[in-house]
Amino acid sequence: MIPYTDRLAGLLGRRKTPPYLTENLSEDLIVLDRLVKIYDTGTIKVLGLKKISLTIRRGEFVAIMGKSGSGKSTLMNILGCLDQPTLGHYYLDGVDTASLSPDELSEIRNHKIGFVFQSFNLISRTSALKNVELPMTYARKSKRERRERAMELLKRVGLEARADHMPNELSGGQRQRVAIARALANDPPLILADEPTGNLDTAASEEIMELFSRLHQDGATVVVVTHEENIAAFTERIIRFQDGEVVSDRKNRPALPESRRGKEEISC
Amino acid sequence: MLIENMSMAFAAIRVNKMRSFLTMLGIIIGIGSVISIVSIGDTMRNLFSDIYKDVGITQGYLYIGYWVEDVRESDYFTLDEMERIRDVFADEIAYIDSNAYTSADASYRRTTVSFDFSGIDANYIDVQPVDMVYGRYLNEGDILGRRRNVVMDTDSARLLFGEENAVGKTFRATIYGSTDEYTVVGVYRKNMNAFQALLMGSGGDTGSAFIPYTLLTWPNDTFYAIRVFAGDDVDLTSFFARLQAYVARTKNRQPQDWYLQTAMDEMTMVDSVMGGLSAAVGGIAAISLLVGGIGIMNIMLVSVTERTREIGIRKSLGAKTRDIMIQFLTESAILSACGGAIGILLGAGVVWIGGSLAGIPVVVKPSVVVLAVSFSAVVGIFFGIYPASRAARSNPIDALRYE
Ligand SMILES: Nc1ncnc2c1ncn2[C@@H]1O[C@H](COP(=O)(O)OP(=O)(O)O)[C@@H](O)[C@H]1O
Ligand SMILES: [Mg+2]
Repeated sequence: MIPYTDRLAGLLGRRKTPPYLTENLSEDLIVLDRLVKIYDTGTIKVLGLKKISLTIRRGEFVAIMGKSGSGKSTLMNILGCLDQPTLGHYYLDGVDTASLSPDELSEIRNHKIGFVFQSFNLISRTSALKNVELPMTYARKSKRERRERAMELLKRVGLEARADHMPNELSGGQRQRVAIARALANDPPLILADEPTGNLDTAASEEIMELFSRLHQDGATVVVVTHEENIAAFTERIIRFQDGEVVSDRKNRPALPESRRGKEEISC
Repeated sequence: MLIENMSMAFAAIRVNKMRSFLTMLGIIIGIGSVISIVSIGDTMRNLFSDIYKDVGITQGYLYIGYWVEDVRESDYFTLDEMERIRDVFADEIAYIDSNAYTSADASYRRTTVSFDFSGIDANYIDVQPVDMVYGRYLNEGDILGRRRNVVMDTDSARLLFGEENAVGKTFRATIYGSTDEYTVVGVYRKNMNAFQALLMGSGGDTGSAFIPYTLLTWPNDTFYAIRVFAGDDVDLTSFFARLQAYVARTKNRQPQDWYLQTAMDEMTMVDSVMGGLSAAVGGIAAISLLVGGIGIMNIMLVSVTERTREIGIRKSLGAKTRDIMIQFLTESAILSACGGAIGILLGAGVVWIGGSLAGIPVVVKPSVVVLAVSFSAVVGIFFGIYPASRAARSNPIDALRYE
């Protein structure tokens, strides 16, 4: 039951930030407690995740690796609040996601999560700028604020000159950078990327990973799915999956050559 | 957010121009036919009320009720009685006669034409103005002297005499059993639009003429009825009630024994019949709007399915159920509102062109236009609800995976 005063504030348009959206600033941003995902295809039941328990602390840069079909995407979709586990609990920033309604989950995705997909998932026939603005539109930001922030983000990923381009006028690497700018729109604490370099060549992949490294250095928690060792090498922690289970979880010393550090301008 | 939704909707509509147009077609036809049918109805009502105004909206007839069984000699009106009525209601009566008319054959040389003779008083021209083109109107002398003088219109003159200027010409006619010579003292010209002429049944091979009402006494030297034109500012309901009561009193009867018919009542009745008719036909036309609405629903369902992935992306970025719902509802509402607007232009245009071809002043009521637009928007929203809620309820991951 929502307290009366909160409802009144809601009616008056002065919405108090709901409790599930306030940042707890807990050490552990993600806590998974015996997570199970069963896909019921009607004929057979597929076990996507088998009792995964995992903790990711605020500010970590994590790679999730594993063979195709090992359950990486299943996990990422749950972490991104796009899907729900069949059993177990997922605490995001101290909030049990199972307790939230679909619209509350929308708000979580909007404010706390930036999701980057392998297939970019930009909205077609919509300019790069508009695509980046979208999460802010759903956060009810003013047009001016949206525009300024979107331009700033496009600049950050080196695409300010392409703001008015449609997705089909951009290269794969450029599209993924627009998608990253869009994921950052509402300044979420958690960045999730499911094989963000899967459709890109080596050069573009490295640029994308450098972007993630920089986000991590700026304080974001970044989780990247990949099955390429050289991509995982950018991260600080590598979790390996096999058949829906964690088979290895170890620290990694990020390989960031000096030559890459100095490279500010990114071209594609 | 509203502007955002509008621009998104317009973008989506523009992407599929042909399909959007075909979707709108149902609404265009629906709204167009409703607008044109209702406007045709309103135009007709307007025409009828004009005709009644021409005929004289202030007039009324009074005679002994056909349901009264013991009709007495005194129930008819004498010339003196009519004079007295005129005096008693001097402030209110503009004109009074006996509403007498009869048909008879008029013969001039070898020509015989069927004529309608209307008995009038000399000041009839004040309440029913006509343009005299030859000679003069009937005067007091003609009336009081019961002279067999007539005034007719140019068409009738041409029918009987072969020329318009028939002043001074005479013809023979048998009226109430007596065959006499009648002299034309004046000819006037009728002014009617084509539609009025059609309705009033002018022309053909029947002539019409005015003769002194004092010639058309029946039975004996009395009149069966009186016809009164009230003055322009007179309260018709109250006046005719008082007239009815007065006549009843002078003739020792109850007011309800007298039959009173006013042009006002008649017009109100015709108007309501025509209003009902055009509403009924308009209602049938509105069914086509329903069909148009189903067309919108169909296309929106296709659109939702096609854009499942887009919906998934939007949801993954934080769109709530309501956001998606509003996006698709805006689209269907715009589709049908645009269709409605085009339909109005088309419907009103057809009526307007038709009206100007027939020379009739066209009536397209703003209220009907407003109603049609709101109705089409409601149709759009109503038939958009199901597809929109289907889109809005979808699970983000399922929508994203959709191929
Ligand atoms: N929607 C689904 N319906 C049924 N089975 C699924 C579905 N999504 C994934 N799976 C199954 O779950 C397992 C894990 O898949 P996924 O998480 O996509 O693997 P990865 O991303 O590591 O390649 C696979 O066996 C896959 O077939
Ligand atoms: Mg995968």
